Amino acid sequence: MTSELRSRIRDGDPAAFEELFDACARAVYNHAFRLTADWSVAEDVMSETFLAVWRMRKRVDADGGSLRPWLLGVATNVARNHLRSNRRYRAAAAAAAADADRGALEVADIGGRVAGQVDDRHRLAATVRALASLKRREREVLVLCLWEGLAYADAAAALGVPVGTVRSRLSRARRRLASLADAELAARAGTGRMPPRAARKSSGKREPGAPGRQVRGDRAAAVRSAREGNR
Amino acid sequence: MNTDRWAHPAEWRETQDLLPPAERDLPVDRHEFHKERLMALIHDESRTTVPGTPARPGEQRSWFRRPAVAVPLAAFALAGVVAGGVALTGQGGDSSGVATGPLLTTDIGTASVAGTGDLLDRISLAAAAQPVQQPQAGQFTYVDAVTADTFVRTKDDKSSVVSEKPHRRQVWLSPDGRKGWLTEPGDTPADGMTLDSTEQMSAAWDGLAKLPKDPDALLKKLYADSEGQGNSPDQAAFSRIGELLGDSVPPAGLEAALYKAAAKIPGVVRVDNATDAKGRQGIAVARMDKVSGQREEWIFEKNSLDFLGTRTVQVTEGQNPNAEDRLIKTGTVLYISAVTSRAVVDGIKQTPERAS
Repeated sequence: MTSELRSRIRDGDPAAFEELFDACARAVYNHAFRLTADWSVAEDVMSETFLAVWRMRKRVDADGGSLRPWLLGVATNVARNHLRSNRRYRAAAAAAAADADRGALEVADIGGRVAGQVDDRHRLAATVRALASLKRREREVLVLCLWEGLAYADAAAALGVPVGTVRSRLSRARRRLASLADAELAARAGTGRMPPRAARKSSGKREPGAPGRQVRGDRAAAVRSAREGNR
Repeated sequence: MNTDRWAHPAEWRETQDLLPPAERDLPVDRHEFHKERLMALIHDESRTTVPGTPARPGEQRSWFRRPAVAVPLAAFALAGVVAGGVALTGQGGDSSGVATGPLLTTDIGTASVAGTGDLLDRISLAAAAQPVQQPQAGQFTYVDAVTADTFVRTKDDKSSVVSEKPHRRQVWLSPDGRKGWLTEPGDTPADGMTLDSTEQMSAAWDGLAKLPKDPDALLKKLYADSEGQGNSPDQAAFSRIGELLGDSVPPAGLEAALYKAAAKIPGVVRVDNATDAKGRQGIAVARMDKVSGQREEWIFEKNSLDFLGTRTVQVTEGQNPNAEDRLIKTGTVLYISAVTSRAVVDGIKQTPERAS
């Protein structure tokens, strides 16, 4: 993406928005999932992010590089509004972690190693749970920096907060992750194996009456048909 | 062991065990669906907007678009507009589902600054004397109005300016703004559509009741809430008031305070003659947006000074008009409304007539 695209976005050129959507919808969708732990919510967040971007187009600087960090920042704000309470996020994360344990949430194929191994599944589940243990603002900056690869300054610009704030959130996130890792080690030493404990814990944490997430695909379809009913 | 406290998270020992979930592709049809939605909104909002300026805070369906909080809410305020866009794409892609009629035009009344403050004072007094309706929990505010919008339609490479036929628009909102219903045949299914939202709509009663009644404090809030919108802060604040007037059932004292606040906005004028969407004649309080060349008017009955409706008129050519803008001739009415009734009712789709 170039500064040429930036000025076209600023000017409200529909073709530029089409280009931006095609280029970035996937990235925004996946970022939204990492923040919400729910694919159907992620889809809504993705959609609303681009609508918000249309609305805020005048805030785009004419000069600069890729619009991706800014888009991710907008998506972060939209996602925050979607899962209003951290409690709701945690319920979604618990379900996603259970999915990961079952192999229903795929592991990223990093460095060409075989994905989907049992260990990786449990590692992914543990990751989702670890993220759920963070405060929302800590999680947001961590996901932006760690998985979207943003530098501190880019994350700060994307979220509209000072760099110092990004740093302090990250260092709190780091401390929390460290203490979690210690607890995990201790637990593993005690029980011999982590996964069964983790699985029980997550299902026990599920909110009473929450639908089973085995039918995740069905749920997304239901949301869709309801929306189409609005046409 | 990493000891650099400013190291990037990717370098932390604490993140080495974290494994991101695999990326997924959105199914092609979902990708296209959302893209279409976006393009419908852009198309819808571009038709009366001067390119290169921020989207004008739309007078029409404005309370959808009116975020009560800054950035993230913008997305939610959009939700209603989006639903409109979806409704449109479902009807074959014309830019409006409402039937069009003759182009709406008007004589441009004479505007003068003199006496505007006085007029607003009298309007404020008249508003203060109006009975106030207060919804109880479980009840809904109801606004029944007639509106029409003018826009540029392009068909087979030919662009022309067309106006909707003035048509009925009914809105129900719960006091907390989380439940609602809109019936505007053409723009919604015949039976209407839900406005349920997890976000509070800015025309919702509870939110309005919390607005300050002191004109200075209120004005400050109006500027803050409309920051970044429109072509200038003054115009944005003025438009914001117009939206609240046209789309809400105002809590005690609010309407009177809004007029007093409006008197403090620079550039506000009185217009000797204006007609609302039901053909009712009146006088108007107005403000000219110099960038777009459009004047936004709030119309009042000449004697009682009751609020009748609003209107936006192309008074002069805007700055930097493009080919599409040039199609809109001076004297074109870009938007017009008339409030028929404002009431409190017991349920969605109930009207005061039917209830009594």
